[in-house]
Amino acid sequence: MTLTLILEQTFNGLQAGVTLFLVAAGLTLILGIMDFVFLAHGAQVMIGAYAAAAITQATGNFFVGLGLAIPLTFASGYLLELLIIRHLYRRDHMEQVLATFGLILFFNEAIRIGFGPAAIYSDLPPSLSGFVEILPDTPYPAFRLGVIGVGLIIALGIHLFVSKTRVGAMVRAGANNPEMTAALGVNIKILFRLIFATGACLAGVAGMMLGPLTAVQSGMGEPLLILSLVVIIIGGIGSVRGAFVAAIIIGLVDTLGRVFLPSILRLFVEQAAADGAGPALASMLIYILMAVVLIFRPTGLFPAKG
Amino acid sequence: MTGLLKFFGLVHAGISDNKFLWLLIAGFAVFPIVTQLVDLPFWNDVAMRIMLLGMAAMGLNLVLGYGGMVSFGHAAFIGIGAYCVGIGQYYGLMNGWAHILLSVAVCASLGLVIGYLALRTTGIYFIMITLAFAQMLFFLFVSLEQFGGDDGMSIDRAEFLLIDLYEPLRLYFLIWVMLAIVALLLMFIVRSRFGVTLRAIKSNESRVEAMGLVPLHFKITGYVISAVICGLAGSLFASWQEYVSPDIMHWTRSGELMIIIILGGLGTLAGPLLGAIVFLLLEEFLPLMLGALVPAYAENWMVLFGPLLIMVVLFGRGGLVGLIDSKILPHLGLGKTAVK
Amino acid sequence: MMTNPVLELRDITKSFGALTATNNLSLTVMPGEIHALIGPNGAGKTTLIQQIYGALKPDSGQVLLNGRDLTGLSVPARIRAGIGRSFQISNVLMDFTVLQNGIIAEHARLGQSFRFLQPAFSNPQLIDGAIAILDRVGLSSRADTMVSDLAHGERRMLELALAMAASPSLLLLDEPMAGAGPDDGQRMTEIIDGLRGDVAILLIEHDMDAVFRLADRLTVLVEGSVIAAGTVDEISTNQAVKTAYLGDED
Repeated sequence: MTLTLILEQTFNGLQAGVTLFLVAAGLTLILGIMDFVFLAHGAQVMIGAYAAAAITQATGNFFVGLGLAIPLTFASGYLLELLIIRHLYRRDHMEQVLATFGLILFFNEAIRIGFGPAAIYSDLPPSLSGFVEILPDTPYPAFRLGVIGVGLIIALGIHLFVSKTRVGAMVRAGANNPEMTAALGVNIKILFRLIFATGACLAGVAGMMLGPLTAVQSGMGEPLLILSLVVIIIGGIGSVRGAFVAAIIIGLVDTLGRVFLPSILRLFVEQAAADGAGPALASMLIYILMAVVLIFRPTGLFPAKG
Repeated sequence: MTGLLKFFGLVHAGISDNKFLWLLIAGFAVFPIVTQLVDLPFWNDVAMRIMLLGMAAMGLNLVLGYGGMVSFGHAAFIGIGAYCVGIGQYYGLMNGWAHILLSVAVCASLGLVIGYLALRTTGIYFIMITLAFAQMLFFLFVSLEQFGGDDGMSIDRAEFLLIDLYEPLRLYFLIWVMLAIVALLLMFIVRSRFGVTLRAIKSNESRVEAMGLVPLHFKITGYVISAVICGLAGSLFASWQEYVSPDIMHWTRSGELMIIIILGGLGTLAGPLLGAIVFLLLEEFLPLMLGALVPAYAENWMVLFGPLLIMVVLFGRGGLVGLIDSKILPHLGLGKTAVK
Repeated sequence: MMTNPVLELRDITKSFGALTATNNLSLTVMPGEIHALIGPNGAGKTTLIQQIYGALKPDSGQVLLNGRDLTGLSVPARIRAGIGRSFQISNVLMDFTVLQNGIIAEHARLGQSFRFLQPAFSNPQLIDGAIAILDRVGLSSRADTMVSDLAHGERRMLELALAMAASPSLLLLDEPMAGAGPDDGQRMTEIIDGLRGDVAILLIEHDMDAVFRLADRLTVLVEGSVIAAGTVDEISTNQAVKTAYLGDED
């Protein structure tokens, strides 16, 4: 357990955390403001990843891929809301679960038809594939560092937007009380649609940034969806600040837990038992964390004021 | 607007819902004769899967349809039930009845703990915490290398006293009998004082409280009963599949159970079984239909199934039982289901 | 008077942040009396009822029912101790018939709700009990109607019937006439009047005619404090009440 390893894994945890935040930020508003259980948010991650990967392959330029994929994911979210989602707001949670589960099946299968079942691996452009020394003799992949940077900048942007702007104030008001927002003369339908499209776009950006790090394949979004639901529940539904804090916690706990928990356990129990229980416990860790948070704070760490 | 939400427990849990349920169960009893006649024994296998998923869905429906608790983690209980068989056999416990007892005991205790913790929350939080507990158990079994981890473990068909499950149709009728028992129990429970209180809690929790009852006690009891039924289905599932892996408790299976219930008719007795029939038949026939239209894409039948689900939500009213009740029965001169 | 009060509130205080909703309030309701709680909107009437009912916990003070300290008991425990309540907004089982509402209340009253086999809605004893519950408010003729199909006034009656189902020693009525038309209001007044003597009633009501007709005693609440208490005659001539409350009636 060297310092280098701890530092490196902490950065990996941060990178996982900010990526998770990008997925969770939109989803927490969708759940909180619209009271809408949207399970197909993971599909938005996949759409973003595929759009970026496909355009990058076609044009040979990573940045063109990103540049075109971002508006594409926004548009896909906008269309999805317009065509299907808005008809589901008034339905109960169970029906929303069912319909958006149907969307997951559709998107995953459509991607399989369009791009084949095999995963796409995309290369990073040379300008991003280098290493940066975060400490002397501690190289760290530049792209991952970039992901952390971009994630933090977007997080700051969302924070400023929600806390400083007029539209952000409406978002906050909406999170507390949709009727009140409507009474203020805000066009709630347009507000919902824009939040939805922006959320889809942010999830798409997460997918784009994950693309070069993992395999881009059908169904890639669902593990992230489940994780971001955990993040949202821990942070408090409807709270962007809560989502950020929880995303970083989950990113760090999950990453560090998987790497270090078995060795930590070895300090207390026999090696064989530690090697058996370590990975099991590590993979359950975040769910245990979520259950504990909910037991003591049934509305999460930062409940949106209602 | 939300026709599905209407309290179908009441509108439909009457005579015809019961009759319909027993009609379906009777159908499963004679089904093997039909497959024998047309020489398609494969369909017995499909029918067993339908009965097992239907049984689990009936269990979940007690919570979901009658109790209004949207549990998104009931696949975990199916998985626990199945692993009770696998792990039991791993330690030399071969008796099938013992497996069933073990599944029931483990699922009851687990249901009690999870129910007690999860029912402190409501709404979206409840959906998510049930999902979280299911994920916890899923990953637990993924990482338990001793019991096969990700790859799962193979299972021998359990030894039931005097019943050799390797004889043709023995397993079929074991499952059938269990299904009938579960159906009978649920039929009683739903109409009992406990059952109507559970339905009243779904309708208006604060009024039930104002009657001096503690809603949580009823909800937890309902939750435990439904967990036990799912565990029973799971332990039979293990014998049917002769194999168990964490896949059996993947979160998408919890979603499938919900689909089955809503497809068939939320808060009805016959609904979950009918939903299971339709769901698994779609799974068999959609690939064939799609294959006939565009042969290259036969495997991608989910691309049709997904939108179908959305249609069910947008346009379905009360699921298939509701449809049969309002559209089909009147044409047959049978009239609508009586409120009972 | 020598009899002991059914309800006794001792120095109840409840604050929400800077707002004091109940301010060191004491009050008694005697057996069989109808005690009306009046005051302008925001005076803390419903907050007080909620504290007696157990949905809100007072910051300090005691709630005693028949001399028994209820402080710390949950809502269902207080119901079982002898409190019945009707709510400001109709709180009935909408997805059931009137009779089924009565049946559920009846087996809850009998403590038989944890029975799993016998059908509830066809049980003759429960049906008899339910009819008796409904008869009190004259609703048994509507037994087979779905509650969602009832007129508003009838729902208020059912609400009252359910609150009375377990024959409580104290009935909390939170605006029983709310939203009722003149006819329904008249009937409700008669029914409540008929309960006088059987049960102690704490009544919140905005309809002053009904209050003056029904109340044996009145307590006037302004900003969480009692500003006056007494009989109808005493209160209607009380100058402080006139300025604080009756004066600014719209």
